[in-house]
Amino acid sequence: MLEIRAASKTFNPGTPNELLALQAVNLTVNDGSFVVIIGTNGSGKSTLLNAVAGSFCLDSGAIFLAGADITKWPEHKRAKLIGRVFQNPFSGTAANMSIAENLALAAYRGKPRRLGWPLRKHLVSQLRDRVSQLNMGLEDRLKNPIGSLSGGQRQALTLLMATWLHPEVLLLDEHTAALDPKSADQVTALTDTIIRRDKLTTLMVTHSMQQAAYLGDRLVMMHRGRIIQDFHGAEKQRIRMDDLLARFEEVRAPNYSTRAPPRCCAACISDKPSSIIIAPTQAK
Amino acid sequence: MSLLLGALTLGFIFSLVALGVFISFRIFAFPDITADGSSTLGAALAAMLLLHNVNPVLATSAAFAGGFLAGTLTGTLATKFKINGLLAGILVMTGLYSINLHIMGRSNISVLGSSTLSTYAERLGIALARVHNLNVMGWDITALEASLLVASFLFIVLAGCVMYVFFQTNLGTAMRATGDNNEMVRALGVNDENMIILGLGLSNGLIALAGAFIAQYQGFSDVQMGIGMVVWGLASVIIGEALVGTRQLGLSITGAVMGSVLFRLLVAIALRLGLNPNDLKLVTALFVFLALIAPGLLKKLNILKLQSSHA
Repeated sequence: MLEIRAASKTFNPGTPNELLALQAVNLTVNDGSFVVIIGTNGSGKSTLLNAVAGSFCLDSGAIFLAGADITKWPEHKRAKLIGRVFQNPFSGTAANMSIAENLALAAYRGKPRRLGWPLRKHLVSQLRDRVSQLNMGLEDRLKNPIGSLSGGQRQALTLLMATWLHPEVLLLDEHTAALDPKSADQVTALTDTIIRRDKLTTLMVTHSMQQAAYLGDRLVMMHRGRIIQDFHGAEKQRIRMDDLLARFEEVRAPNYSTRAPPRCCAACISDKPSSIIIAPTQAK
Repeated sequence: MSLLLGALTLGFIFSLVALGVFISFRIFAFPDITADGSSTLGAALAAMLLLHNVNPVLATSAAFAGGFLAGTLTGTLATKFKINGLLAGILVMTGLYSINLHIMGRSNISVLGSSTLSTYAERLGIALARVHNLNVMGWDITALEASLLVASFLFIVLAGCVMYVFFQTNLGTAMRATGDNNEMVRALGVNDENMIILGLGLSNGLIALAGAFIAQYQGFSDVQMGIGMVVWGLASVIIGEALVGTRQLGLSITGAVMGSVLFRLLVAIALRLGLNPNDLKLVTALFVFLALIAPGLLKKLNILKLQSSHA
């Protein structure tokens, strides 16, 4: 279980660029739950993921994961419990190293690195197995440098690496945003398959309303460093893309206050006819 | 002939510098110029210990350890204290200058007359070959020259192999990945700062080892001897990359050694042809400059060619 308690973070405090990235955010994610996080630009969704991953320290608040208080753990120590996929396909893999070496690095996630040989026979055959399940023909190219692959292939491999040792929580930060539509669909399908198969506790940030509507069992919407909406269970399943876009219009309105209670539940907005044009990147 | 043998031997010894620079510049992409200080540190430590009749193997190992510490210090400044890598190297290198003077007590000490790895190699060579002078294709060479050449060659082969194996272990793979993408290795649970500290330690350990060998080869240690070491190492690495043309680990290591030997031969030839030794560092710096900008120039040239052929 992941529990975020009153997490607050201000970037550049006391300067004109001051940004209240997280304002006392509370979020409890049960084991096996797949939470999709959406929000306006600068709403703090990526910051929330980075706070869990340990990219920076919180100003106040606490984070518990798998029963441990990880608030003060450095990033590399948290990695024992966390699998991550970044937005940039270049961030998740070492370009000059081979596919096999990259995967082997992930197979030792959180374990001490000593003088043992990483590419042992049983690991290599395991690598070949799992890579062939991607259906990308990469199993015969295990010795090729990862830099020679396409963004979609790299993201698929990063996903495989992040989930290799069943993480306590999987963090996906707009991991399909930099891909072409076809690769994005492929990686999205793969994401869903892996998360369902391994019953992974997941936090996924996305800008794609389509992913937000169709993936996961819980949907959290953020705005100006706060969680302003949290859809569970049946409510989450009823949400359509148009509802989400309408909600975005609402929070973007200049007089919108983050303190106001949600005016409308998903059930009622889903009946409204949509007059909002879907942005090209979100269209299939 | 002695000139050629000397150049080859020095080439092999200097390939330790090339390997060290390869670790810092190529594997970690860290512009570490501690080398100028750590190579002298190695020479100073070894020379001082030899003068006190310490076993040469022990004295040389101490040089490696000293260089290793210097490297970890630079790494610590750069990672834990977030000092710019170049500046961290300058700070440690500058500090080492005084330390080296303290170790030696003056700016120049001789180890002639002491038992060194060179005299070990000569004795072993004579014992094995049972002759004092060799005649190769009409050239007379002494047992010392031949033994040093063979010994330095064998040592560098060993060092290269150890390095090749090391960088494929779990630890070595994590180190290479740190240089490639530190964000990723942190996400995979590796403390990237420790990897950099350890990597710079190994790099400077090798370079100090080269310093210790040079002191024993030439018979003295000088506080100025390390100046230009980084550039020499970098020149060797660049020549090596031109020779083997790849970033694959095994080939890169071989390339760095070959580059170092070729570079020393070129230097010997240039000196023989009358190059003023004082100009050596300037010429080397110019060479590295040209080698660094060459790929970009070639690309531009190709684009121009393509444009003219399309026109």
